[in-house]
Amino acid sequence: MKMLAVFEKGARLRHIGHLDLMRAMQRALRRSSLPIRYSQGFNPHILMSFAAPLSLGAVGLREVMEVSLDGNVTAEEFSRRLSQALPPDIRLLSCRPVEDAHKPPMALLRAARYRIEPRGECSLTLKDLDAFLGKASIPAVKKTKSGEKEIDLKPMIHELMLNDGKIFCTLDLCEERSCKPELLLNCLCSSAGIPAMEARIVRLLLLAEKDGAFLPLEDA
Amino acid sequence: MNPAQEEILEKLLEKVQKPARYTGGEMNTAVKPIGECDVSFAFCFPDTYDIAMSHLGMKILYHIINKQPWAVCERVCAPWPDMGDAMRREGLPLFSLESRTPIRDFDLVGFTLMYEMSYSNILEMLDLGGIPIYARDRSEDDPLVVAGGPCAFNPEPLAYFIDAYMIGDGEDVMVQLCQTVRECKAARRTREETLRALAGIPGVYVPRFYDVAYNDDGTVRSITPNDPCAPEKVRRCVVTDLEHAEYPETIPVPFTDIVFDRITLEIMRGCTRGCRFCQAGMIYRPVRERSMDRLLEIADNLENSTGYEEISLSSLSSGDYSCLPELIRALMDRYREKRVSVSLPSMRIDNIVKQSLEETSKVKKSGLTLAPEAGTQRLRDVINKGVTEEDLVRAVTDAFDSGWSSVKLYFMLGLPTETDEDLRGIGDLAQKVVGAYFSIPKPRRAPGLRVTCSASVFVPKPFTPFQWVAQDSLETVKEKQEHLREYLRIKGVTFNWHESGLSFLEACISRGDRRIGDVIYTAWKNGCRFDGWNEYFRYDAWLDAFSACGLDPAFYAYRTRPFSETLPWDVIDAGVTKEYLMKEWEKAVRTETTRDCRKGCNGCGLQRWKGACPAYENARGV
Ligand code: SF4
Repeated sequence: MKMLAVFEKGARLRHIGHLDLMRAMQRALRRSSLPIRYSQGFNPHILMSFAAPLSLGAVGLREVMEVSLDGNVTAEEFSRRLSQALPPDIRLLSCRPVEDAHKPPMALLRAARYRIEPRGECSLTLKDLDAFLGKASIPAVKKTKSGEKEIDLKPMIHELMLNDGKIFCTLDLCEERSCKPELLLNCLCSSAGIPAMEARIVRLLLLAEKDGAFLPLEDA
Repeated sequence: MNPAQEEILEKLLEKVQKPARYTGGEMNTAVKPIGECDVSFAFCFPDTYDIAMSHLGMKILYHIINKQPWAVCERVCAPWPDMGDAMRREGLPLFSLESRTPIRDFDLVGFTLMYEMSYSNILEMLDLGGIPIYARDRSEDDPLVVAGGPCAFNPEPLAYFIDAYMIGDGEDVMVQLCQTVRECKAARRTREETLRALAGIPGVYVPRFYDVAYNDDGTVRSITPNDPCAPEKVRRCVVTDLEHAEYPETIPVPFTDIVFDRITLEIMRGCTRGCRFCQAGMIYRPVRERSMDRLLEIADNLENSTGYEEISLSSLSSGDYSCLPELIRALMDRYREKRVSVSLPSMRIDNIVKQSLEETSKVKKSGLTLAPEAGTQRLRDVINKGVTEEDLVRAVTDAFDSGWSSVKLYFMLGLPTETDEDLRGIGDLAQKVVGAYFSIPKPRRAPGLRVTCSASVFVPKPFTPFQWVAQDSLETVKEKQEHLREYLRIKGVTFNWHESGLSFLEACISRGDRRIGDVIYTAWKNGCRFDGWNEYFRYDAWLDAFSACGLDPAFYAYRTRPFSETLPWDVIDAGVTKEYLMKEWEKAVRTETTRDCRKGCNGCGLQRWKGACPAYENARGV
């Protein structure tokens, strides 16, 4: 069986990278004495995976992972044992058992919802957002492994709003196409004609898609 | 840290390299609130987080202090220069990792002294912490600054900056020290009174209660107590019962990569082989072993509380542990299911049993490291390194035969009595190691032979039989390195050598007296820090500091000191006596070896302390 679990990567751990966080989770699983499974081969590793890496400096409020387990473990037991083994700034929020055949969260992931908190004064206005969204296309330059690529952000933005000086948005996040919140903020600022802002990124929720509508990844 | 400071920190962390070094919050570090404890201790490691967190001594003492219900210990590391500069610019005081409390708010600020070239970082950390650097400038509100660790055996170079030293094994004295501070605090004693109380604890040295007088030629004439609280000589602390000594049940598990990211099992303490250059071999005597049962218990505790994937056995000479193969086998059996690997980092070549090689390699095959130290049998006899060429060749042949293909060989350059013959010997030895590899039939050996020869520059250290000798001059060292490079032009062999300026300064400081303190201060003022890191080591700045203080570095490094001279560290009784060290020096010159004292007591001095040396007591049938 597999356990689908939702956890928080707290603010203190913002600068802990993806691989380090994975290792911390693996060590927590080892401490939990849950019946985890290992891969075969010379360098066995724990069979578990995260839905999506979180960029350095970002906080994740509802990150999703799956863990392969031997035998039957209830959600309560999993939650109790793993919670005890986690460092204080990684909190397990919920979990649910799924079949081995259940698609891994990585494959079901479609988009993510963010809160972008500019440091200092946020000089963006609702008007800026409307003008931005009103464009026929939003060209942007995306850095990839193979160089720079011209892309259109417009179809990747599913939600964009401003509330109390913070920007809330839902952006594509899957293998085919993804838009980073930092990139969105940069484009937004240049469209509004204001200098680029530094911001703290909070990933609020990971999303899957079903029948044309988004739902929390852990429920998919 | 107040909210405004938290805000500043958050901003800085966005900008600096490796911000994860400063975040804290690791597993097993959530300690009690400082306000609820009688005594708070900031454990400072004068190097980066990645090095600090690999250090076993820190983990042991961290655990011991926090185990006292009335005390709390938090960790502090040296911020990398980019972070240090930013903190200074923004007025952010040096803080602890756990609760982000400024270090000046602790009762005690303790430094561990692992190597001399970290001393400038101690000054940097005090300064970043807003604590006056010179002990004499500190007020009643400032923390007490204490220190311990191997370099504390010569406490004089830092005597101006450290309020109190703990000499020797820290397990017991650390608790006594904290307890005394607790009592003094409750009784509202002054700083001076508290220090007097500390000076009364066996193994504690409080520099301000000693006066140093100098001869006209600049040598030390005397070090004498100036207060009735101070003992004539400070006797090093020895944990006699290692079996029942405290050992952590949990240790912090860092998020980021550190140098040794694993469980360290200290299987024994001390080494009685008696290598004459080795300070650790002298100051950690006698040999004390932990039983297998106790080690398995410790391993279980740590494995369960950390989830680490690797356990490494640690001691000065793990190969000497009485039931090494049994221990390795037991650990491997126990943790096979949990996929924990077992490794042996330091190993003596004269007793590498093929069996334990195979046992460890089953799980993980890291490079094999051997330390013949010198190239000829003659010089190995001078330094009493009881290793023969035959041992070495047998050990590497076994290793190559069991599938290893990379070997590291450590040597020292500039040992007393060294000649060109000895340097050639290093080349010959490397050649023989290469030969051993090719003696294994091709299908049996692993491809890709790699022999790395490293030659460090010999630094004479206090409390060794070589404590009186002169270090080779920089020119001589350079010449020797050139020659050695020629001798090591062998296919499959790489030669690494070390910055010789660094070894020279190390020699000046490690055998320095109190006046060196002003040099360290001046060097730090001139911007020196992280001297142990190539990219920050500024040799010229150090030389400038010496001349600014009117001191000649050659006086400390290049001078052969007569036996009759008062040495700056004579105020410390390290266990091993001066008479014994003199005898050892004379034997060295005569190329005479000294047996391992587990085969019979050599009278090193530890026998003077009742119950201290198990080997001695056993032999006497006590
Ligand atoms: S007292 Fe004797 S047996 Fe003990 S460490 Fe010294 S020489 Fe060895």
